[in-house]
Formats: sequence, structure tokens, C-alpha cells
Amino acid sequence: MIFLAKAAEIPDGARKLIQVNGISVALFHHEGRFYALNNACPHRQGPLIRGVLESWGEGPVCAVRCPMHGWKFDLATGDSHGRPENATVYPLIRQNDELYIEI
Amino acid sequence: MSIRMDQIQPIIDREYDYFMSEHPHWSLKTTPQHLSEYLALVDCQHADGGWGKMSSNKESAAWVTAFCSLMLIRGNLSLQHPRIGEAVRKCVRYFLETQKEDGKWSDPSWADLDAVSHPISFFDVLLAVGKRLVDEPTLAKVKDSWRKGMKFMLDRQAADGGWYDPEFHPTGVEITAHLIQDSIVADLLLGNELNVAECCRKGVRKLLSVQAADGSWDGENVDHTMDCCRSIMLVCSVLNMRPECDRAIERGLEWILQQKCEHGWPDFPGMETNLERTCDGLDALLKYKAYSQPVATAIVKLWGYAA
Repeated sequence: MIFLAKAAEIPDGARKLIQVNGISVALFHHEGRFYALNNACPHRQGPLIRGVLESWGEGPVCAVRCPMHGWKFDLATGDSHGRPENATVYPLIRQNDELYIEI
Repeated sequence: MSIRMDQIQPIIDREYDYFMSEHPHWSLKTTPQHLSEYLALVDCQHADGGWGKMSSNKESAAWVTAFCSLMLIRGNLSLQHPRIGEAVRKCVRYFLETQKEDGKWSDPSWADLDAVSHPISFFDVLLAVGKRLVDEPTLAKVKDSWRKGMKFMLDRQAADGGWYDPEFHPTGVEITAHLIQDSIVADLLLGNELNVAECCRKGVRKLLSVQAADGSWDGENVDHTMDCCRSIMLVCSVLNMRPECDRAIERGLEWILQQKCEHGWPDFPGMETNLERTCDGLDALLKYKAYSQPVATAIVKLWGYAA
């Protein structure tokens, strides 16, 4: 378990790119919940940290769209809904104000 | 134009040196010798005429095949090597055999419009310079296939001049930049049979309308800003739209130059350089150099659309 960030550093609606053991982790704080994904889109390594948050259809906003070629991933699961690969998501553990990640 | 060539040329020279210094990270060969690099690419071609994303991938992908084949056909303009010529002919067969009935090519990694634009780019160049490479009956088949693909693209242009895909390209910027560049060749080759001049003019104006105040496109996306600049330069040269495009191109390039790292370009401002974007940046500056020439055909030749 590796320390990622203090939750207070990332207010709701914000995001932050953090290096962990040589891996770029895109940390999103969206509607009270934190999500950690590998920043590199599995399509062509576009930076998910610069992606737009969107919904699937009419549902709630819960996905991020890669800004390079448009692949979209569920924030919680990394599911790409039919693209050849999914994004890598990392389990997050919150202890008080501190966020830890399992890589 | 206020961007002076004596400012740009040293950047081109430095970036080229940097790009070549990274040779082991992007080439299949260890030493930079042009013919052997092209032949190494030929060696990776699959039996069906395509290439995979990595040389170790067994399955062919249309987009990789289009990029490889474009490189081969352009390179062979000067190399004139029989193995490269044969590889290009195998690519032609691959694309003819994998086109769908409605004119598209399919690839789950890309929007249909992207998947179509890749082989169309290859066919554009083949039709322009490939008469020595394929026989007349094959060239006729290519032209039919190309026309079907072009029609698939053109039929999907929105009324505002952009192309969109709700799943991949909601803003439409990148795909519009690609498709106007691919389509304009039909104006040169088909004598405006498909009314592409008007489609491309509308596409350019759509892109001009969504350029940000700082000169960038698509949320400070370096890749998409380079795409827009390059495509607008080509299309406005062919369609005599320079007066309405010059300032936008210049602002785009000024922004691109501002985003340059010590070496190369990143995907977004403040990020690390990557080689693909560096190659695009170098290409954008070289095309601007051609665009700045008084002879309009220089830019068309640089794209490989004329011998």
C-alpha cells in the first residue's frame, strides 16, 4: 500500500496526476468519490488526466473520455464498453485524510 | 505571415537532430540507413498484406497497415526498390479485400470515419503517384474502392461542415481535420465529381470557427492543433482560401512553438515530450515551410500527392 495524496489536496471536481513507482496515476475526485486510473490510455497512451468526464448514455457522469482518440472508460472499473482494451484502475484505500493505492 | 523562416529553420534542424538521436527508440533497425529501415518494415508485413501494431502482433490492423503502406509508397518514390514495390501491391490487395459493402473499413479501435480515412489516405497517394506500381486493372479497382470510401465519408459530413462521431469524436475537431485533408485529393483527381471542394471549404470554416483565442484547438490539444494547422494549410492552398486562413494558421503555429519542450513536443502543455508528437511537430514546421513557398504545388508535393 503506497501513499498517494491527501484527500484535502484534491477538492471535489478536481484531479491530479501523481507518479507512483514510475507509473503515472490519474486521480479523480468526482461527486465525493475518488478514482485512480493508469494515466496512459491503452489505445495509444493518451493522457486520461486531460480527459472529459462523461456519462454512459443518459446515466450519471461516471466515465472519462481520452482526449486523443475518444476511447471512454468507466472510472470505477476501467471498462471501455466494447473497445479492445480496458483502462487499468487501482484500488484506493482512504485512511482519515490520506489516500493509499495498491499497485 | 509574421512567423519568419529564419526563426523556424533552426528549430527544424535541432528537432531533426533530436529525433535522430532517439533513433533506437523508434526504429526497427539499430543504424539509420534508409533502405534497410524500409526493408525491415517490409519484413514485418503479414501474408494478408497488412501489419500489426507491434512487429510481434500476428493480426493485421487497417490503421497500422495504412501508415506503413504510406511510408513505403512515399519512400519508394526515391528508393525504387522492387521488394518495397511488391509490399505496396500486397497492401493494395489487403485494402481491396477488407473493405465493407457500404464503403467503410472497420476497426474496433477507431471510429468508422477514422477507419475509413486511413486506407483512403493510402489510396490518395497511390492514385497520385502509383501508376508505376500497380497495373491498370488494379488501379481501376482502387479508384472504385476509393470512390466508395470517399462517399462513405462525405455522406456523413454534418450541416455545419464538421464530421462527428458520438462515441469517439463528439467535438469533431480531429476527425474533421483528417477528413478535409483526405477529401481534398478528390478535388484534384476527380475534377470535383463528388463536390468535395465545397465539403472541404465548409470543413475548414468549421475548424476556423472553433479555434481558441490562444491559437490552439480542442482544449489545448497539441496533436489536434498540429492536425488542424497541417490540414488547413493543405486545403486552403488548393482551394485558394489563404486570405481567410493565414492568420489562423499562424496563430496555431505560434501556439505550437510555445508548447515546445527543450526537445520535442508533448501531448498537452506542461507534459513530457513524446516521440510521436515530436514527429508531428517537425512535420508541421516542414509543411509550414512548404506552405510559405510562392509555388502552390510545393505543398501538394510535400504531402506526397504529386510526383
